[in-house]
Amino acid sequence: MDRQALLSVEDLRVEFWTERGTIYAVNGVSFDIAAGETLGIVGESGCGKSVTSLAILGILSRAGRVVGGSATFEGRDLIGLSDDELRTIRGKDIAMIFQDPMTSLNPVLTIGRQIREALETHFGMDRKQANKRAGELLDRVGIPSANARLRDYPHQFSGGMRQRAMIAMALACEPKLIIADEPTTALDVTIQAQILNLLRELVRERDTALILITHDLGVVAGMCERVNVMYAGMFMETGSAVQVFARPRHPYTVGLLQSVPRLDAVRKTALNPIEGNPRDMLQPPQFCPFAPRCRYEVEASRQEVPPLEQIEPGHKVACFNPVPAEEWQRMKDAVVAR
Amino acid sequence: MSVAQVEAREVQLEAPSGLWSDAWRRLKHNPAAIVGFALVGIFLSIAIFAPWIAPEDPRSGDLSRLGGACCPGPSADYWFGLDQQGRDVFSRIVYGARYSLLIGIVSVSVGLSVGLVFGSIAGYFGGWIDSIIMRMTDIMLSVPGLLLAIGIVAALGQGLWQIMVAVGVTQIPIFTRLLRGSILATREADYVLAARSVGVPRRLILSAHILPNSISPVIVQGTLALATAIIDVAALGFLGLGPQDPATPEWGTMLTDTTRYLQTAPHLALIPGVAIVISVLGFNLIGDGLREALDPRFRGRG
Repeated sequence: MDRQALLSVEDLRVEFWTERGTIYAVNGVSFDIAAGETLGIVGESGCGKSVTSLAILGILSRAGRVVGGSATFEGRDLIGLSDDELRTIRGKDIAMIFQDPMTSLNPVLTIGRQIREALETHFGMDRKQANKRAGELLDRVGIPSANARLRDYPHQFSGGMRQRAMIAMALACEPKLIIADEPTTALDVTIQAQILNLLRELVRERDTALILITHDLGVVAGMCERVNVMYAGMFMETGSAVQVFARPRHPYTVGLLQSVPRLDAVRKTALNPIEGNPRDMLQPPQFCPFAPRCRYEVEASRQEVPPLEQIEPGHKVACFNPVPAEEWQRMKDAVVAR
Repeated sequence: MSVAQVEAREVQLEAPSGLWSDAWRRLKHNPAAIVGFALVGIFLSIAIFAPWIAPEDPRSGDLSRLGGACCPGPSADYWFGLDQQGRDVFSRIVYGARYSLLIGIVSVSVGLSVGLVFGSIAGYFGGWIDSIIMRMTDIMLSVPGLLLAIGIVAALGQGLWQIMVAVGVTQIPIFTRLLRGSILATREADYVLAARSVGVPRRLILSAHILPNSISPVIVQGTLALATAIIDVAALGFLGLGPQDPATPEWGTMLTDTTRYLQTAPHLALIPGVAIVISVLGFNLIGDGLREALDPRFRGRG
């Protein structure tokens, strides 16, 4: 990192205390993000991606507890702050965009009212000022006749428009960091591209940092400078987008990339899913969490948790037996080349 | 239809918005609910305009009118006949609507307001407060409602306001439990999380986000509870725990007073019975219609 970190997460651990036992959702995650940077967190469902972001904002559900680590934002550790202190940061300095625009807007309040909420909370704007600003925001995210539509209710908006409205809400107070949790998963492909372009523009305009959480490798490849691959609440591989996508070294990353359909494949090749099921999170990891599904496992994989170690500048892998650097290129060539 | 007309229609369909106008639009297209509104409308206007509708004083009768027989049935002079004390039954039914309505509304308001407070506290704060409140409601619900009401009337003494309190108290646990469950579901909604992520203060989250989205089953229950309250009041009256003054034209009391004449003058029991059924049916139909109209799964349609 040459730029100064805006948010620095160090060894974050989150547990959920449920009737079935303790769920070890996040098991020591660390990353830095600087202003203007876009960071991707990729992984399959239930790997702890969303929980990480909720923990940073202090809005985990009741059962969730941050049991260790820190999240330093502009010199302040967010983890120890009281809810009242966090509330002055949430929405104002760090904002979040949620996955499902269908359920993330309150059905009984107008769109305008919901955008105004942040402005009134953080800037003490009166209704008139806030309404004016809300109109500008809706206009900025590309909703036609924005001022008139402030009075609409969410069910009068289409999915794409709702996601735009959600983005307008997140932008309301010009936050320094936006966390977008699967912002395009619930949308169809053409709308996805529009929303991603919009996010990209907005981030560039104000030098906003963006954490993009997704299971969609294509989205990450197109948007992010740095990528973290997450599995069972841990980062398996981190690096620049080029490093992770062109020279993946962790067997899980390779598996993820292999399971994506390729348009440039010559013949109809069968997709290559990762065998087995995601790890049951009721135990803290005692050895490599991916080992039971891994073709590359070695003896050490079943004995201890692999540390995240640097294998080239800026590229780290948590694996005792990383996939050879040229392996992925060979696999790709086998499918594409004749 | 021309294209312009179709467009105009679509615009018109889209124009009104909001939870309540939406619900109202759907309610208007529900025939059962319309019947319910009509029945309740009749019931309300009879209760309000009782002194102008009733031809006679419902409390005092004239035994000489009975002519030795009990009891004359419906006639042109006395539409619903005369009762055992020579009172005009029609007038008594008309005034009885007032009592049923008054007791119904007051007791439901008692149950609803207390239930709302306890339900919101239990649902939103959870933890030990929730446990205590829910165990209390469990205890209250384990006693049959009518039995509880009888017990309260027995403890407080007979009288109009005692009945209202008794019926109201029996309604508290239903509203509490209903709102708590509804809040528990809403509390975990994505938009509540989204509101928290924006830094909205807690009380605003409860009042602007959680309550408005949790309240509709309570409103439905409110109309249904009015029906139950009317029945409970009649039942209390029937069991001899009605208003102190035996001359009070309360429907349930009228039923009891006439059981002795069931063989010779069944209309004396039938008429207040029908009055109870019709008013209860009206509130039930409205309640069912409201439930459908407020169901979020149907929102944005119709």
